Amino acid sequence: MTTESSIPDDDATQPAMVRADLLAGLFFIIVGLAVFYGAWTMDRLEMRRIHPLTVPGLVPGMLSLALVICGSILAFRSIRTPATGGWQQLGGAVFSGAAGRAVAVMVLALIYTLGLVGTLPFWAATGLFVFAFIMLFECWLAEPRRPWLTSLPWALALAVCTAAVVTWVFERAFLVRLP
Amino acid sequence: MFDGLIMLGGGLAHFFTPLSLFNIAWATLLGIVIGALPGLTATMGVALLVTLTYKMAPDQAILCLMCLYCGAIYGGSRTAILLAIPGTPASAATTLDGHPLALQGKAGTAMGLATTSSALGTIIGIVALALIAPLLAEAALKFGTYEFFWLALFGVIISGQLTAIDDPLKGYIAGIIGLLIAMVGMETLHAHQRFTFGIPALGGGFDLIPAMVGAFGLAEILGVMKRTAQARIVSSDDRVIPRLSDVFQYKWTTIRSGIIGTFVGIVPGVGEDVGAWASYAAAKRVSKEKHLFGKGSQEGLIAAETGNSAVIPGAMIPTLTLALPGSAAAAVLIAAMFIHGIRPGPLLMTENPEFLYQIVAILLFSTIAMLVFGLTLTRPLLTVLSVPRERLMAVVYVLCVVGSFAITQRMFDVYVMLGFGIAGFILREMKYPMAPLVLGIILGDLLDLNLRRGLLLTNGDPSPFFTRPISAVICIIIVLTILMSIPAVSTRVRSILNRGRTGASAKS
Repeated sequence: MTTESSIPDDDATQPAMVRADLLAGLFFIIVGLAVFYGAWTMDRLEMRRIHPLTVPGLVPGMLSLALVICGSILAFRSIRTPATGGWQQLGGAVFSGAAGRAVAVMVLALIYTLGLVGTLPFWAATGLFVFAFIMLFECWLAEPRRPWLTSLPWALALAVCTAAVVTWVFERAFLVRLP
Repeated sequence: MFDGLIMLGGGLAHFFTPLSLFNIAWATLLGIVIGALPGLTATMGVALLVTLTYKMAPDQAILCLMCLYCGAIYGGSRTAILLAIPGTPASAATTLDGHPLALQGKAGTAMGLATTSSALGTIIGIVALALIAPLLAEAALKFGTYEFFWLALFGVIISGQLTAIDDPLKGYIAGIIGLLIAMVGMETLHAHQRFTFGIPALGGGFDLIPAMVGAFGLAEILGVMKRTAQARIVSSDDRVIPRLSDVFQYKWTTIRSGIIGTFVGIVPGVGEDVGAWASYAAAKRVSKEKHLFGKGSQEGLIAAETGNSAVIPGAMIPTLTLALPGSAAAAVLIAAMFIHGIRPGPLLMTENPEFLYQIVAILLFSTIAMLVFGLTLTRPLLTVLSVPRERLMAVVYVLCVVGSFAITQRMFDVYVMLGFGIAGFILREMKYPMAPLVLGIILGDLLDLNLRRGLLLTNGDPSPFFTRPISAVICIIIVLTILMSIPAVSTRVRSILNRGRTGASAKS
């Protein structure tokens, strides 16, 4: 039967990972500096005469410095590591079919969570999401693609069942007022 | 001694009721199914089940969560053996010998041995839990604010180090991110709101359950759905119930792996996968059949499965006595305990001593259930593996949304789940471990509060953090751990040690 597999080849992705580490390192340095600024400018509660070493910004400030140090080491290490063709590989990974499938899940999740839930009744939003998810991944993004006539009854049945069961269980059994 | 046995008896009797037995049965079975399905992990399962159990009585809720946890860690072995894909990260080491055994036509033997090894591993861990936890809880009563600061830091550092062995720097970064996330919201020393940007919902910080559902649920869905390659299930026609001689042939491997797994479980934030790999590596090092490892060694399979299952009771030791989660799933269990009014920590043995023995009883019952289901339900579990992921993941995402929403009934928690899911996926793709991040979220408040409280008590003098004996020991361990993770330092230390050994052997 079928399920996923394909363990990524670490050696093949190494140069791309080195370059990704550089970007991540720079990102962590920026985040660390921003948090440090926030911690430094945080209210020191002098009005309450608290001890200066117990100010609320103390630990966030220390942690942000630790993040800046770790980010700098990551970026520095990445710059020093030879990674021929790293940027091309990284670009290839970002625009690959696998990344496209992940983006498709994210888009569906965002549409469902931010758009449909709260706008439509919960059962309708859920049914639509499940139906769209199954059809998209079985009939368009699958390799090999399944005939849509095979997937359609499954998608419809699962959409109806999921919407009905989840709504019933949470609203009736757990008394949750669903959005 | 006798008090402990009496309380254990009380714990067993407490759950020997039809309702509890029913809950044990369905929760363990659900756990096995979740563990067997690639893409559904034990942590994700426990996080989602918290929502479904929060209306239950506290003991029954914890019973269900623990049984699901045990079942899921075991269930991953099915997929590892039959598909060469670990059902959960804990079963990755099982794949190495489990699948080759299946290809040799011994899938049933492999599944049977995996089942008995998991049961024996859990039992070794249970014994350690019953013996060590009361002693540790008593010792922890001596811990003050200084020690708890170091313990929180130690948890994050050691978790970062051991969950990212190839690159500890990424483990440390994940831990720091987790600690920074915990800084959001109202701090407890002066009741000041930090990094809330005027958003009222951030006043209480990020709730752990939505964050975990995102980091282990949505991130996992994204990871599974991005792949396209497919695997084939190896058929199983041979005997599943193993012979006693097969089980006890490697008794020393079982005992050693159980002890290693339990020890790994005690280390905060280091999960079942590390337990399995450590046991596997130790078994390979001392085995008389080294050449068979990776080619279908029964000893390798037994070591991996005993090791990962022994982590579960081991992880409960720091979880119950110090409120430091021994694994990612244990972190969710801590959150669930707080939801149900149970306070894990050093005072547990004073306030609620019978709870520890109830956990021991739960683990025993779930081991029995796992053994029964594992050895009898071979065919139905094969059917579970054939569920297409496209259909499964759509339903799982719906459960992630409802699960995040249901506890506090705020859409904000759903957005938190979404944010943590996408960020968690990107971090995982870049090989950042999730366990230190989760541990950081849990321990951030403990670290922050105890550091500043300690400084307040001493009027700004930090010396007790370094001069009190327990504090000093933990501090030295932390410094050594960080130093040894620097390649230049560790290489130098190893060369000095090797030189010392060579010199000693030359003299002799």
